Amino acid sequence: MKSIDDFSRPEEYISPLDKHFRSVVRAWVDKDVMPHRREYDEDWKEHTLIEPAFDNLMANRGLGIQKALFPADLGGWGLGQSDYAFTIACTLAEEVGRADTAMAVAFMVTYWPLTTILVEPHVNRRLAAEFAPMFCKSDKAVFAALAMTEPQGGADIENMELLGGKTIKTTARLDGDEWIINGHKLWPTNTGGVGQLFGVPCTTRPGSTDPNDFALIFVPADMKGVTQGGPYEKAGMAADKNGDLWFEDVRVPNWYRAHGPGKDAQVFKEIIPWGLVGSMGFLVGAMMNLYEVLYEFVSTRTYGNRPLKENDAIAGLIGRIAGDIEVCRILAYEGARIGDRRNRPYGHPLYSEEVLAKLRNLKDFVCDRAVENFGRAMDVLGVYGPDRQYDIEKHWRDIKIIQLWMGGKQLCQMEAARYFYNCKTL
Amino acid sequence: MHKPLDGLFLSTREHIDEEEQRIVNTVRQWADREILAKRLTYLEHYEQEFAGKRGMLLMEIGLQRLALSEENGGFGWNSKASAPCLAAVLMEIGRADAATAYMSALQFTTILASGADGTSPIDTLISRFYSTDKPVNPALILPGPGSQDEQTPLFFGRSINARLVHEGDSAILFGKNMRPAGCGALADHFCVVCADSAGKPWIAFVPADAQGIQRGNILQETGLNACANADITFQHVRLPREATLEGKETVEGLYLWLNLFLGATSVGAAMNFFEIVYDWANTRTIKGGSLMKENPLCASVLADVAEEIAIARFLTDDLARLIAMTASPNGPELQNVYTFAQIVGYRVQQGAMRAVNRGLELMGSAGYAREWHAEKHWRDIKTIQSYLCGVGAEVPVKMDTARFFFDCREI
Ligand SMILES: Cc1cc2nc3c(=O)[nH]c(=O)nc-3n(C[C@H](O)[C@H](O)[C@H](O)COP(=O)(O)OP(=O)(O)OC[C@H]3O[C@@H](n4cnc5c(N)ncnc54)[C@H](O)[C@@H]3O)c2cc1C
Repeated sequence: MKSIDDFSRPEEYISPLDKHFRSVVRAWVDKDVMPHRREYDEDWKEHTLIEPAFDNLMANRGLGIQKALFPADLGGWGLGQSDYAFTIACTLAEEVGRADTAMAVAFMVTYWPLTTILVEPHVNRRLAAEFAPMFCKSDKAVFAALAMTEPQGGADIENMELLGGKTIKTTARLDGDEWIINGHKLWPTNTGGVGQLFGVPCTTRPGSTDPNDFALIFVPADMKGVTQGGPYEKAGMAADKNGDLWFEDVRVPNWYRAHGPGKDAQVFKEIIPWGLVGSMGFLVGAMMNLYEVLYEFVSTRTYGNRPLKENDAIAGLIGRIAGDIEVCRILAYEGARIGDRRNRPYGHPLYSEEVLAKLRNLKDFVCDRAVENFGRAMDVLGVYGPDRQYDIEKHWRDIKIIQLWMGGKQLCQMEAARYFYNCKTL
Repeated sequence: MHKPLDGLFLSTREHIDEEEQRIVNTVRQWADREILAKRLTYLEHYEQEFAGKRGMLLMEIGLQRLALSEENGGFGWNSKASAPCLAAVLMEIGRADAATAYMSALQFTTILASGADGTSPIDTLISRFYSTDKPVNPALILPGPGSQDEQTPLFFGRSINARLVHEGDSAILFGKNMRPAGCGALADHFCVVCADSAGKPWIAFVPADAQGIQRGNILQETGLNACANADITFQHVRLPREATLEGKETVEGLYLWLNLFLGATSVGAAMNFFEIVYDWANTRTIKGGSLMKENPLCASVLADVAEEIAIARFLTDDLARLIAMTASPNGPELQNVYTFAQIVGYRVQQGAMRAVNRGLELMGSAGYAREWHAEKHWRDIKTIQSYLCGVGAEVPVKMDTARFFFDCREI
């Protein structure tokens, strides 16, 4: 093993742009994030340290990566049209996640609602043109959010297969050529005051399971009636702000709806695979950093006066950790390819049961391995494990939520059972 | 949650007498009234707020004197026979706040490992440490990781990084940038596992005002935030000979108490986590309106939470009894109990951690928010678990176990 880049992945599927993206983002990580990340926890509210790093990654004055999905003729990089969109997303998630999974999620969630209008085959040119200047011309990082979760629960809203959106309480009512939105969302990444554009799943008929009554509507944060609460204090994930979001008689033009009846429900289902692949990328990146820290520790610290790594029992343990990272990376990229195969004859559409079940299953597996391995690694460091200076404990706190978000572990298990065993009532 | 925890998590505590139970109940009332009932007001800076509550517990209720011998002005719970009551008290404190319990666990560990009983030479020192009207903070420096370019004396494979040199009536302690298991920045005294020039282990009790002690910067650690930690350097620290205790058995005794008391601390924290999950599962609905706890998959996760805590508590109570039995002439040998304490200590932390990890799965974002205090238990228990591992995760304990059961000679 020479470096973290030697962890396996299916090289023949990797985007031609991979090397370029990876090296540019890694240089940003090394310069802008690594030297400061141990101070991020105290910066959770103000983002005094965090914000400039985001600007350098996302905004025009920096790498400008927030425009990546927009079509080239609208000022973007056209990645929405790429056959490798998922694979590149996985690479980016991994590289940023290596330094800080919260930064990775905050920056990538900006793409999340936009995938529904910018990624082939569902490009909505009018909305793309409407929002392009916001992202492609800004010298500041611009954050978008996908506001699904509501006070009564997030899992049910993501559980479209079973509940078909019937628990959504946020309503959209058409009034002339405007939608009027009312509701209360919680927890979306990139809220807590930083969100500038929200993708909002709503219902046009509360309690309905009819896909035609599901609406995904874009709401700019500066619309009258939109209120963002302050950020919540969390166990970790300081670079991601989450808060309450209220919509009170918010009016937006009727064409701010992503695609219309039926199709909105489909693109909403298609959002889930992006989140799952991104989640795996974040975890693999964090685990690659775990490997770097652990390598140093087990090589220089001793048990029985020999380096920890030369003790057979400890070697068994750290060997398993590295082995798991290897397996998880392969799985994450396989997950990304499942996404990128969507338009191929041998692939499945993103909204299909196959894709959802397989990706939820992979994400669940990778989450479990990551949670276990970070906990294990802290114990290998022993009395140094809880020390922020060793970086593993921060990842340990940060990554636990990746296992819990997007409906949680149990929803993943249910989707897998439904698909693999043809369950009818779960 | 309105059900009594004792009725749910059964235990074998018949040997705790009424008087002892009264003390346990007083601590429970303190936990309920002073911490649990006011939790929502402790959203910020609770480490500082809890300091006042801890003062009340230690000074007004008098827990600081609990493990001191009567001769040293204490309650007299300073023998092995007191192990079950001390563990029961720590569970109650841990239920309120693991950091407060952790600091009491360190007090109990150092006092009991010192063997101060009113007749031993170390009594003067121990009673000096505790003759104050302020909460006392000990810190433990245990064997742990060694460094690549240094051969150290070992305590069953773990490096003893502090050196002790005897000079007439004095002992001189050396050690550079040593990492305590918590509380290094606060410590009023240190309990240090060190080795002499022959490599024999000792324990040194070191007042923090002794000449030659340097503290590093305060560390930011995962949990137990009230137990501010810092690295410690001992540069030619001179101690009276009575401040040192000789022998492997003394260090084994230290680990024995530590495993018991930290086990009780984590079980207490896990029990409060249980109460939080109980309330959550009783009100949260999924699948469009069904109570979460009535879903068989969620119910099986809830069962895991309860099972792990119940077993961890059982093991802790049993370890306490085992230790109490060593006080009787026909009781088990210390060396045997040391191994059991290591096995149980490791298992209890693992169980408590698994309970919390599983419970968090059901709490979604709420479990991750500071507001619910569930995540605090998660961080606190994890910190205790890693401290107790010392180095190499569970491997040192596995080696102790294999050595004991299979007579391994070289591991
Ligand atoms: C850092 C962070 C970032 C987040 N980002 C976003 C975001 O960008 N957008 C957004 O909308 N939300 C976001 N969330 C919210 C998160 O996705 C939700 O918390 C999550 O989906 C779970 O929802 P919940 O907390 O309401 O729990 P609930 O929906 O109440 O579910 C709780 C638990 O119930 C169980 N459960 C649920 N359904 C089933 C079932 N059918 N069968 C069996 N068990 C089940 C699971 O164990 C689940 O974990 C974020 C949260 C955090 C902490």
